[in-house]
Amino acid sequence: MNSDDRIALLQGTLDLLILKTLVMGPQHGQGIARSIQRQSEEVFFVDHGSLYLALQRLEERLWISAEWGVSENNRRARFYKLTKKGREHLVQKTSEWERLTRAMGLVLGGNAGIKEA
Amino acid sequence: MIFKRKRSTQDFDEEMRAHLALEADALKDEGVSDDEARRRARVAFGSVQIAHERFYLKSRVEWLDNLARDLKHAVRQLARHPGFTVTATLTLALGIGANTAIFTVIQSVLLAPLPYANPGRLALLETHWTDSGHTAPRMTGPDAVDVRTQAKDLEAVSLFDSGNEGVELRDHSTYTEVTFADENFARVFNLRPIAGRLFGDAESHHAALVSERFARDNFGGAQAALGQTMHIESEAVEIVGVVGNGFAFPGKTDVWEAFPLKPDSTSRTAFNYRAVALLAAGTSFKQAQAELDGLSQRLQTLYATDNRAKIIEAVPLGDALTGSARPTLMLLWGTVAIILLIACVNVTHLELVRAMERQRETAIAKALGASRWQVTRPVIMESLLLAAIGAAAGVLLAVPAVQVLVAMAPKELPRATEIHLNGWVLAFTVGIAALTALAASIFPALRAVKVEAADALKHDASRGMTRRGASTLRDSLVVAEVAATFVLALGAGLLMRSMAALMARDMGYQTRQLLVVDADAPAHTDADYVRVIQQFNGLFAELRAMPGVERAAGVMGLPTGAYGSNGYYNVRGGLPVDAAHQPYATFTVASPGYFGTMSIPFKHGRDFSNADTNQGQFVAIISESLARQSFGDSDPVGKQIQCGLDSVKWMTVIGVVGDVRQDSPADKPGPTLYMPMAQHPFYANQIHIVLRTRVAPLSIMNAVRARIVRTNPLIAMKFTTMDAMVNDSITEQRFRAVLISLFAGAGLLLAMLGVYGTTAYSVAQRTVEIGIRMAFGADRSVILSAILRHAAVLACIGIAVGLALSLLLVRLVASMLVDVRPIDPLSMGAAAAMLLLTAIAASSAPAWKATHVNPIETLRAE
Repeated sequence: MNSDDRIALLQGTLDLLILKTLVMGPQHGQGIARSIQRQSEEVFFVDHGSLYLALQRLEERLWISAEWGVSENNRRARFYKLTKKGREHLVQKTSEWERLTRAMGLVLGGNAGIKEA
Repeated sequence: MIFKRKRSTQDFDEEMRAHLALEADALKDEGVSDDEARRRARVAFGSVQIAHERFYLKSRVEWLDNLARDLKHAVRQLARHPGFTVTATLTLALGIGANTAIFTVIQSVLLAPLPYANPGRLALLETHWTDSGHTAPRMTGPDAVDVRTQAKDLEAVSLFDSGNEGVELRDHSTYTEVTFADENFARVFNLRPIAGRLFGDAESHHAALVSERFARDNFGGAQAALGQTMHIESEAVEIVGVVGNGFAFPGKTDVWEAFPLKPDSTSRTAFNYRAVALLAAGTSFKQAQAELDGLSQRLQTLYATDNRAKIIEAVPLGDALTGSARPTLMLLWGTVAIILLIACVNVTHLELVRAMERQRETAIAKALGASRWQVTRPVIMESLLLAAIGAAAGVLLAVPAVQVLVAMAPKELPRATEIHLNGWVLAFTVGIAALTALAASIFPALRAVKVEAADALKHDASRGMTRRGASTLRDSLVVAEVAATFVLALGAGLLMRSMAALMARDMGYQTRQLLVVDADAPAHTDADYVRVIQQFNGLFAELRAMPGVERAAGVMGLPTGAYGSNGYYNVRGGLPVDAAHQPYATFTVASPGYFGTMSIPFKHGRDFSNADTNQGQFVAIISESLARQSFGDSDPVGKQIQCGLDSVKWMTVIGVVGDVRQDSPADKPGPTLYMPMAQHPFYANQIHIVLRTRVAPLSIMNAVRARIVRTNPLIAMKFTTMDAMVNDSITEQRFRAVLISLFAGAGLLLAMLGVYGTTAYSVAQRTVEIGIRMAFGADRSVILSAILRHAAVLACIGIAVGLALSLLLVRLVASMLVDVRPIDPLSMGAAAAMLLLTAIAASSAPAWKATHVNPIETLRAE
């Protein structure tokens, strides 16, 4: 997989990353962006436009809910929270992902090499 | 949530501002200055305004965003797999290009409205007999006059007829398509001359309109042509008007000569005219036909014998003009549709291979939560992009292809000059490209949907384990492709065999080494006609004496030629005649020596001689069929025969000659009645001179021309050879056969690519398996034969399916076959053998490669 694919993949899976971030608790948009960036060790760059579109989409699917609140440094911000439905979705997808990565790890880390067909 | 409340833009704005403030705070905490922090926050966010708009246009933007991203992705993917991209694009270009080219012809010829005013109201009047079911696209003079005066639903009715005539101008003669039309002709077509005026009924036989082209070529311009006098068929005709080049009817008419509203022919059984009509505004063809039916019934009652079972029909002019071309064009359309189908199958296969290579990528995306739509989108996008490139290339291919098509097309192809690429054609191309893209992406897209996250690991393609389902699908694509190609190859085989049969047919005369001169000598008075005959007779003798010329003669009614007549005849002392089936024959007027020149075999009796003159006993020579038809086994020589060509005099049969195929090799050898030129002078001024040469016929053309000019400079002439004329008489059959063969060849090429691609792919996937088998001692030949056998089995199934399909389709071409049965074992066998060989050949290269796998290396790579 090269860098081109990574971007395409990441944008398709931003939803999952957002849900994962919200597991820690309600967070505002800026916080989510920072968190994803930090947690992925700066590998993922979050395009803010896409972020808000994704938030909007998740809200419509009822995976997250939002309300206005106050940030730790006293600024008014819109806080997003994982819903029950969102948590279920995340659990399901995470376990799929873990099975995949574990298997990938076994293959890639094991003695079998990937050979070009 | 019971109802969905849409967030306001202000609410969103506020969120954006909060984001910026938070980001600035965070940066400040990291030790960035106040202004710099705000600036960076903005940069990181991008323009607030843009985000705002994106929110506002959310659904649209998201869609566009995705589209742009998918498109970029698709472009990258295609660029990264040039082999796949080039093969798929060329395949599509071929399929779409062929369809665009044929559709261009179909649209212009069959679908586009006629280029005349009120195209939907123009009708051709035809005569139909309800008892025999026969229809003639012609009318008798009196019937047409009755229609004109009585039919209220027809606003205008015009009688006309046309033919190639020698038109004498002041200093030279020219062969021109001349139409004789009454004054209503201009009303029917709403004709407006670009110079001068229309002609009136009072000017019949004395006034004419000419085309702009004719005026320019012969007089230098439209104005210069006005008032000039031409001689056509012995009449002095003045040019009163010039018609713009936009109007052409019928055919390529250059001169329209005035013709009386009251036609010369008063017989209700002589179909001397054609008729066009303009339907009254707001009248449908159905209404008009109802009125014509009533009128025809009245005429049937009034003229019980002449009009028995006769119905006058109004046929939309477009249908009447293009009806003859419809079967050939539809056949071609069907053929290119099959080509597109084959191209589609090939691209499907290519995309399937791509989808399998992409399987791991798809599985990961799915594991990360990508929806069905998200994983199928790139597949469809790639397909659409390919189709778009293929369509563009196809249109580029179609432009020269249409030019070649038009150049190859038979002369009789109606509206050939109107054929051009246009918006409708492009819309059609875009449509089929989109359809192709979708059709080719269905299977790969379904496959992508079915991929499970874990599949990426279970079915690592490089590990030599292929999915059963995947190879079955690919195999069925090969079968479909072979079946479609078989249908094309069989069609091509049948038409090619018909063509070969036509070319090999005995015409009843020798076509080689024959120079033909189309000669039209002006004659205005009875004395002129007699003088022309003398001139021609002298000319034939002079031509015979020329070096390189063996024999020379003249004829009106040369086989495959433009002139000729036919009709009923009577005999004395022949077989009894059934009143309902009067004997019918081709009438030909010939000079002495004609049969010898043409090498038409003499069976019996003598040839015409110079002693057979207008004053003497009228004589005739008949063909074998006529002899058999009217005299049976008795000797016809000395018997009497009469026909309605130009006189009712009884003629004595003096000889019997072999039959000829009159119109083309497709024609049956039929009864012909030959009469001497000297006794039928009115049919002897517009003739073909035939010369049997010892040298290449056209090499003596200039010498012959000089000799004819010396005899009479006013003779209009055209040179050709008998071989060329016979060849031209089957252009339609050739056009069909050649095109279908070309398409079958293209289909075969695509099928070959398909089989090659499938085999190469499955062999590449099974490299490891093959390596292991060989390591365990499998013989090279066993593996080779297994792969080839698989290809052969697929080809055989495809051939069987194709055979079943062609049995259903073959009746569509049955009417186009000559000397070949629709179910022709030879064509079928040839098509089957060719496909089988193609399949084996296409799979032998990958098979060969597979057997040269080095087992040790393959396993080491693991």
